[in-house]
Amino acid sequence: MNERLDNMRKKYESIPVPEELDLVVKRAIKKRKNRRMRLQSLAGGAAASILLFTIVNTSPAFAAAISEVPVLGSIVKVITINEYTRKDESSEANIQTPAITNLDHPELEQTLNSKYAEENKKLYEAFEDEVKELEKKGKANMSLDSSYEIVTNTDRLLTLSRYVTTSAGSSGETITFDTIDKQEKIVITLPSLFKDDSYVQVISNEIKQQMKKQMQEDPGKVYWLNEEDSMTPFESISKDQSFYINANGKLVISFNEYEVAPGSMGLVEFIIPTETISDILTSHEYIK
Amino acid sequence: MRGGRKQEKLLMDCVTENKESIYRLAYSYVKNKDDALDIVQDAIHKAFLSINKLQNKGSIKSWFYRIVVTTSLDFLRKHKHMHVMEDEILESFIPGQHDAYTNLDLAESIDDLPEKYRTVIILRFFEDMKIEDIAKVTQENVNTVKTRLYQALKQLRISLDEEQLKEVHHR
Repeated sequence: MNERLDNMRKKYESIPVPEELDLVVKRAIKKRKNRRMRLQSLAGGAAASILLFTIVNTSPAFAAAISEVPVLGSIVKVITINEYTRKDESSEANIQTPAITNLDHPELEQTLNSKYAEENKKLYEAFEDEVKELEKKGKANMSLDSSYEIVTNTDRLLTLSRYVTTSAGSSGETITFDTIDKQEKIVITLPSLFKDDSYVQVISNEIKQQMKKQMQEDPGKVYWLNEEDSMTPFESISKDQSFYINANGKLVISFNEYEVAPGSMGLVEFIIPTETISDILTSHEYIK
Repeated sequence: MRGGRKQEKLLMDCVTENKESIYRLAYSYVKNKDDALDIVQDAIHKAFLSINKLQNKGSIKSWFYRIVVTTSLDFLRKHKHMHVMEDEILESFIPGQHDAYTNLDLAESIDDLPEKYRTVIILRFFEDMKIEDIAKVTQENVNTVKTRLYQALKQLRISLDEEQLKEVHHR
């Protein structure tokens, strides 16, 4: 429509497109598929197919023989109940399923351990399906790594984290926490720590402030805090947001990759100063 | 959930179809291959992550382009302290390369335009987007987009006649 504009358009269209673009786009799309796989596999719920794991679970001698990780300073133990590995030319998986023992409360142990077994079973089934699917089209080039860690272990509390790392080109990581009161034999939930629902707002505000401060202090840090940063800026934590209580008795809120920040930030955590939530805590038993 | 799957499929198609164009769009902001590729990748992640929140209004394309634009601008904002001088810009500092009366309000190429003007020129004239779709991408109202287009054309010293202006609005 105008010579100058036409020239500019031609110049724009002549920006060379690198060969890698195809790969980058494919990987990004594929990664999305893996995410869906993970979300499904972590959805949990009861199913009939946990028989195998139940047998292992109810046979402490056998379980202990596989591997044993004593948790220092306490009788409660976390052991690896089941290990699944698979490695071939183009795919690799390593899934370790934890189990809690000696909690002195068989029902709670069983509930947690079945959940772990069940979720990991789904995880590797989904992985095998995905690999088969990809192998039809060539090499799978996928890897999956799932294991656990003891995050906190005090006289009172035990926090077990389970993480899943997948990679298919690029990588992704998710983490979940379970915090157990060893004395009361209960699993602590986030809402149970507070008098009412106001914690959602209080903690969200605190996190927003921390995000802002961190970004100001270090330009390398990016959180999706504002409209201009992201389509889905961080608004609020969920009622049952991932959390744990660290060894110093501080509440730590955790976010998975891409939940509140670009992938380059990885998993992110925020320590909530106790004074911010002091007024709304049910008690100071756990959080100090 | 079914709806979600369908949306994902549409998004996947949109990304695949427009990959070169979104790459160029990202490149026009960051001016280098690696960062442009990073932005493409990040924008795709963000899009799949928030696709469920997309109400079924309007086209996925303008929604996705908005993510590319915001991701690019975000990148620029985070990296403003470490601008790399392009040869072209360096050359502009060498005396005698430009007219003595270079007017700061005039732009030689779209690269000289402020980002908000550059965006509308690229989307309107290079990507052939409709004004209303550009408004969705930039989250501005239609009139603001039009004003920016006029301002941008003015800075580029491009004058369009009546006929062409009509085309700008309605094509």
